[in-house]
Amino acid sequence: MSEQKYNPEKGYIALLGWSLNAVEAADKFDRRYVVVAPDWAEAYCEEHDIPYVPWNFERLNDRSVEIAQTLKEMGVDVAIPLFEETVEWAGAINSVLMDKPRLFGQAMLLRDKALMKRRAQLGGIRVGIFEEAHDKGDVIRFLKRVNQTLLKLDGDPNDPIHLKAFDKAGCLGHRVIRTPDEVDTIPEEEFPVLMESHLDGWEFAVEAWIHNGKIAFLNISEYVTLGYSVFVPATPDLEKYRDQIRGEIEKLIKTFDIEFGFIHPEYFVTSDRTMYFGEVAYRPPGFKVFELLEKAYGFNAYQGLILAFDPKTTEEEIKAFFPKEVVDAKGYAGCFGVYPRRRVVSKLEIPEETENHEYFESHELTPPLEETVTKRTAFGTHWGLVYFFGEDPYVMRDLLKHQEDLDFYV
Amino acid sequence: MSDHQPGSAAPAVNFDKLVQRLDDAIQAMEESRSFARAGKLPRVLDTARRVLLQPGGCEVIEERAERLELAGVFAGTDWAEPGILLPTLTTHSLQSQSADTVVIEAFSELRLLAVARGHYLHPSVSAEQAHYYLTQVLAINLGLLFGMTGEAEREQGKLALISQAVVQYVADHIGYEHVIDSLIEEIWRILEQRPIQVTDVRRMITQIALCRADPQADLGGAGRGADRLISSLYGPTRACSEDPGTVVYQQRLETMDAQALQNEATGFARSMHDTGLVSPYHASFIRFILADQDTLLSEALGLSSTGRDCLLCYRELVHTLIEEGIYPETAQGIYGLALLLERGILYQPPVAPALWRQARLSLCSYARERLELAYGYQPQPGAWLIQGVLNMLGQPLGVGQGNNPTCQSARALSMWAYNDPDYLLQMVAWAARDNEIVMHFEGQPVSSARSVGGVASEVTLDLDPVSLVVVPHLDRIYVEMGRLCVGREGDPHKWVNPEFHGWSAGRGFAINVDVSTGKLHDLEGFIRHFYASYHPYYNGNQPLIHPQPAGIAVTDSAARFIGWHAITILRAALDPDGEMRIYFFNPNNDSGQNWGDGVKVSTSGNGERFGESSLPFEQFTSRLYIFHYDPLERGEPAEVNEDALRRVTEGVYRSWGQDRVPADALQAEPPITD
Repeated sequence: MSEQKYNPEKGYIALLGWSLNAVEAADKFDRRYVVVAPDWAEAYCEEHDIPYVPWNFERLNDRSVEIAQTLKEMGVDVAIPLFEETVEWAGAINSVLMDKPRLFGQAMLLRDKALMKRRAQLGGIRVGIFEEAHDKGDVIRFLKRVNQTLLKLDGDPNDPIHLKAFDKAGCLGHRVIRTPDEVDTIPEEEFPVLMESHLDGWEFAVEAWIHNGKIAFLNISEYVTLGYSVFVPATPDLEKYRDQIRGEIEKLIKTFDIEFGFIHPEYFVTSDRTMYFGEVAYRPPGFKVFELLEKAYGFNAYQGLILAFDPKTTEEEIKAFFPKEVVDAKGYAGCFGVYPRRRVVSKLEIPEETENHEYFESHELTPPLEETVTKRTAFGTHWGLVYFFGEDPYVMRDLLKHQEDLDFYV
Repeated sequence: MSDHQPGSAAPAVNFDKLVQRLDDAIQAMEESRSFARAGKLPRVLDTARRVLLQPGGCEVIEERAERLELAGVFAGTDWAEPGILLPTLTTHSLQSQSADTVVIEAFSELRLLAVARGHYLHPSVSAEQAHYYLTQVLAINLGLLFGMTGEAEREQGKLALISQAVVQYVADHIGYEHVIDSLIEEIWRILEQRPIQVTDVRRMITQIALCRADPQADLGGAGRGADRLISSLYGPTRACSEDPGTVVYQQRLETMDAQALQNEATGFARSMHDTGLVSPYHASFIRFILADQDTLLSEALGLSSTGRDCLLCYRELVHTLIEEGIYPETAQGIYGLALLLERGILYQPPVAPALWRQARLSLCSYARERLELAYGYQPQPGAWLIQGVLNMLGQPLGVGQGNNPTCQSARALSMWAYNDPDYLLQMVAWAARDNEIVMHFEGQPVSSARSVGGVASEVTLDLDPVSLVVVPHLDRIYVEMGRLCVGREGDPHKWVNPEFHGWSAGRGFAINVDVSTGKLHDLEGFIRHFYASYHPYYNGNQPLIHPQPAGIAVTDSAARFIGWHAITILRAALDPDGEMRIYFFNPNNDSGQNWGDGVKVSTSGNGERFGESSLPFEQFTSRLYIFHYDPLERGEPAEVNEDALRRVTEGVYRSWGQDRVPADALQAEPPITD
């Protein structure tokens, strides 16, 4: 049952997409809210008296303006995207709600990884070599050319290239290709894709809340192994780049002309301290980083999201809401995405050393539904997360790394 | 940097931190919006599981019992209403392989412990109720309490440690003496119903015996009352009191004089009639005296003059039945034989020849396999079947349906054994020898061999030997008869019951539920008619002649409808306190049930014979939905007084009839208020 008491002086926000954690955070916050989600959420919302407008987020089409009109008539001030698929919808809706047509173009830019990289390049942000591929031939050509550029001789091991879907979130559809043979494993329907050269460096992500074009809170998430584990705040080894990273984010805000909201970009930093931009998303990150932030700092990141989007938020509110980065953290919160390591599994068994570790917090793993494990072809489909919390970032990092050697499904 | 290396030993658990984590998880649940609360539960359960695995874990949970309940860990489950929890179900959840089930059950037990100790004032359970409930939980889970683990615990892995820890923690605070003593009471309560199947009772007694023999288990003064039970199985007489084994006992018998043998015989008989349990030594003894001391047989069976008379008339038949059917493994048959002789049914002309057939019956492979599967290869399946027949004829009200939905078939077997023993023997012969039973439905033959599925997809093996062989056939015939009624208007029992049970079941049929709508139908007329047919004050003081099938709407301890159930009405009579009661047979394995709203089925102490259940007439009528009567005898609806009528009707409305009141009935008869 919604028990919300909202402040009528503040904005009225719409959450695009269904996320129970986001709804609960909104319900406990002082902004009036409405959930815009597909009709399968209707029964649940009705049962629990959650304010709700049904909408199926398919591709944008002629009818798209309907939802913008509906929300406008309800008096909604801003729409907040919760998932990659609702980013363009938020852009389209907000351009109507705020009468700023530019917002729609911005959203389309943030939805297409190839366009995004071009725009970054134009803004003077350093990116790796990238190209669009429409078929397997393109991939083989790109792989050869990248390795030629690196002055590799025949027989030297190739540097890998990365393939990503244009418009999918995070690691979904991410593949690493090292040899032309591997190109055959890509299904036709995945094309077109974005290809990028591999950067030997340290990959990390940033979460930045933006208010009036300025950074309200900047978090650096340290990846221990991409697609497996992440923790916040980062180790001092990475945090020492904070000022440089802040500069990069400010460049990004300027280049993409972002006034408000939240961005989640990824970067590489190479051994010579050069930052390379990977990609940026205009929505909450996957891998439950919001939950990790709440654990580490104690503030609700979804409520921060609502503040950053609401045009009626004041500077004072922002100051009062967000803690001071790193120093205000009570500890380090990390999570590990479990992939079964065996081909045939029959049950879930949390390793004793993991479960008894002082840092072990909880897990979201469920017993296996099938005995045979599908072979993993791309990143991004872990079977559930395991959460840790502790005082020492290095213990955290090594602990997360060590989990990769353990069997959770046997 | 950490020196934590891959493969290093599991670090010791920091218990304080773990408890802090549990508190955090509970707090997250407490602060959660109700619509998101379910999502916070897994973390609470998993953290609690880890806490429970640590020493001192139970205490931590008990301290937080109230918080946990208020946070909503039981919301939406049966555990939310502790007043209706059944102790028997705890075994299943404590042995579950699902961690969440085990943890929730542990929460519930520890919560009730907190209530019982006065630490938690619960809105719906009193400290006394909680205490009583927990003693029963302990009694039923004795194995866990004393660390006797079986297959279920092996399958469960580490979770079994939680179940054990919880049960032991509860026992530490409730006291062991309560456990053993209430278990003993429970066993006596079951034995007073004289069931044919005593496997579970034997197992429980064995468990108590093992606990008492275990120097590790400190029972205090408890368990003394178990002597009679343990000795009835393991040493009922002087010559076998220290449980020497049948081989040694056999040697002792050979050296005994007449007086010693006489003492043994009376010792065995006394023990058997006292408990309804038979020791394997008893079988050794009877086989021994059969050779040339058979004058002691009557003594060893504990027969009265009726039984002795019967034994003398049919000496050879009895000898043959013992030789073929009574072994240490099938000793329980001795009790059946004694009661069979006491009933005098051998004097019915067809019974003795039918038993001669039984003694020499060759079994079909299907019957053979089922018996071997359930009882093993020693002795022969035929011996087991003889034991079963003796028990069923001796204890017709001891039939149980086991863990099967076949109450109809169990009821039929009991009715025939009670009323029509040679017909029962005919059924057994057809099923065991020919693997086919043919009955007739309105003149049309119905064969068990040609009918497909029954009510039960598979009839389990926890049955007496006769049921084991015959029930699968009866079940198929019963369902086939139901199928032949498809398309007829009304309840099929109307036609099936008399055809299935035999001519003595009344052809008249009364039902108070409209089959098409499920609503109550002419409740008042139904009640008046039932009184007119069965109540001695309203039917001209005519005792019931033949046992009659009847249908009961079974309700749980909260008076909620559970399902329709078949029983047999045996008689209506005044109890020792002068109250009119219905005495009936319930094929359910344990008839002492609480049907809610004050209706508690009694199995002893109110004039019941062994195996009978009873309820005051009005209470019984408030759960009745089908009965049979003789249409030619039907009198006028009884002038039941308004008060009695109202009490019965309201009993129906408050329990199974709650959602079945037809819309117009409420207008026609507004509920009378006091």
